[in-house]
Amino acid sequence: MSKTWISAVAAALLAIGINVQAEPLTDADEIVSRANLAAYYAGADGRSEVRMIIRDAQGREQRRQFTVLRRDVEDGHDQDFLVVFSQPSDVRGTVFLVKKHVGADDDRWLYLPGLDLVKRISAGDKRTSFVGAHYFYEDVSGRGPDEDSHILTGTTDDSYVLEHKPLDPSSVEFESYVTWIDRETFLPMKIEYTNAAGRVYRRVEVIETQDVGGHPTVTKSRVSDLDGKGETNMEFRFIAYDIEIPADVFSERSLRRPPREWLKRPASEK
Amino acid sequence: MRSIAVILCLLTLALSSYAQDDDWEEWGDDEWSEVEEGGLQWNGFFELALGSRWDRDPQVERKQTLGDMRFRLETDWSSEKLSVGFKGDAWYDSYLEEFDGELRDLSLSFSPSSNLDMKLGRQVLTWGTGDLLFLNDLFPKDWVSFFAGRDDEYLKAPSNAVRATWYGEIVNVDLAWTPVFESDEYLTGERFSFFSPLAGQRIAPSPPLSGIEPDKDIDNGEVAVRLFKTFGGTEMAMYAYHGFFHQPTAFTDTFQPTFAPLTSIGASVRRPLGVGLFNAEAVYYASRDDRSGSDPYLPNDQARLLLGYEREAITNFTVAFQYYLEWTQDYSELLANSLAPVFEPDEYRHVVTGRLNYRLNQDKLTLSLFTFYSPSDNDFYLRPSVTYRYSDQWSVTGGASIFGGDDAHTFFNQFADNSNAYIRVRYNY
Repeated sequence: MSKTWISAVAAALLAIGINVQAEPLTDADEIVSRANLAAYYAGADGRSEVRMIIRDAQGREQRRQFTVLRRDVEDGHDQDFLVVFSQPSDVRGTVFLVKKHVGADDDRWLYLPGLDLVKRISAGDKRTSFVGAHYFYEDVSGRGPDEDSHILTGTTDDSYVLEHKPLDPSSVEFESYVTWIDRETFLPMKIEYTNAAGRVYRRVEVIETQDVGGHPTVTKSRVSDLDGKGETNMEFRFIAYDIEIPADVFSERSLRRPPREWLKRPASEK
Repeated sequence: MRSIAVILCLLTLALSSYAQDDDWEEWGDDEWSEVEEGGLQWNGFFELALGSRWDRDPQVERKQTLGDMRFRLETDWSSEKLSVGFKGDAWYDSYLEEFDGELRDLSLSFSPSSNLDMKLGRQVLTWGTGDLLFLNDLFPKDWVSFFAGRDDEYLKAPSNAVRATWYGEIVNVDLAWTPVFESDEYLTGERFSFFSPLAGQRIAPSPPLSGIEPDKDIDNGEVAVRLFKTFGGTEMAMYAYHGFFHQPTAFTDTFQPTFAPLTSIGASVRRPLGVGLFNAEAVYYASRDDRSGSDPYLPNDQARLLLGYEREAITNFTVAFQYYLEWTQDYSELLANSLAPVFEPDEYRHVVTGRLNYRLNQDKLTLSLFTFYSPSDNDFYLRPSVTYRYSDQWSVTGGASIFGGDDAHTFFNQFADNSNAYIRVRYNY
């Protein structure tokens, strides 16, 4: 008798739980908005070490290693980034400062230590290679959700499948793209870009995620040029969120004098 | 010959250490290990650079303009409170047939208070907004390296200086004090010829031209100050300098070239405009010992103005233009007293520059063309270059310096017999 009662309660709870967890969203804009927050705005700020292996069409490899500091000016809106390169040796000490403005052009500066030169970079095309990788600037800092229209084309057991079309097709090299967004974490797990000929030519995919301080976080990803022009593997380590990086770390001062106290690895992660 | 053996030996060592290091694709934990606090990581490169005129210069014996076998070593060391930077070059210069060395950085950096950064020692200093045109950046330049086709980095010569930068609420203040005056590496005739108004022709003197430097006392040090701040996306700066002209454009009583006292004041602004970047900079050079402009041995006052615009025209293709004006003050005094009035520059010397930069093949290939053209002098200087970054280790750059114009004495065309092409192969370790 009591056993049956417990089972019934358990079954009911389970049903509620499933309902709570998995009532699928149906509003494409809301899914995109939550995915944008999950992918680019975890915590109020954060730091990560990143390295990339860039493989070209001939299979030759180049590497990049850098540390990224990020601070959200406002969740879902403007952000500051500071990128400090440590490898390879010819870019070691190069520092990149980005003030990302949602709905306007970003401000970007580059510090070249050999010349002691603070170079301002014009806004330019954000869909160009980031330091020689198959990643674009926009893949690194995020594409504004308002730049595309979004349609929810399907919901699977674990993903929302959305199709996106650019509002200004002349500003991008793709015709459309499809994303598979994890229903639980809202991380975009796969993105495929289709060209005007209707062929998928570029894929960004998440290889591994981890929970970092309660934030589901991408720790390995890959972008592939499906026209046989190679791929880039990117890995993130020593990630920390909500470490209270002051706003003035993201200023010209940090270009000439990288903020060692914020760049060094968190003690617990060593 | 021995130098080649030494360099090959070092190259082999670097290559073998790289080969042992080659396990990034394992994504192994150990590969992430940063250098421990207090440890040193050594980097640098080996480079072979060759350059030659295509025509013989009647003034300079050799056709060759560049022949460097160069070794760069750099490291930095940091503790909680301070850091030390080191960057040094050693090379065999086959043009001069001698070994050379240059310490480009040996500096101590620390922050005595939370909003003050200090950097003491040998260092490269840069500020201002111009692209290969320098108005308020009166730190030393190496024009010989620039003309010979060495890496752009070498245009900026190091100084022995104290730099203090204070970051305030309303304004930031940058101070650079160079206790002993350091001139540019100017053209001396050793490698490149130039126009002498006294001789009335292009010359390459032997022994080479050597400007008489100011006495090495504390009063002859150089002080440069910059006040700067970024408001929104707009960078504003004001500058002042007290020291000397960096080229030996003055003469002593005995007709020896020397460096005239200079005080300058200027300002700049840089901000996004449309889809590109706009910059403007102005400066006034006061020739302290010849404010009236009547002394033919000393340069006159000059006002200089720069306007620039840069934008990405199409993906990966950047186009930049600058307009530059040199306005010589007290021009009638200059002409009235000049020893060679026909060779004096125009009162208004106009220069326009263009930079075309195209990155291809995932940034591995860079095509670049920088053009100086003066409509008032009717002369030009072209700097085409191609860089191919074959891998993280190997890169090759080829380029040229091409001078031309109408009159032998004008600023760029005086170097017409120095037009040259170069190639550099670099291995980074």
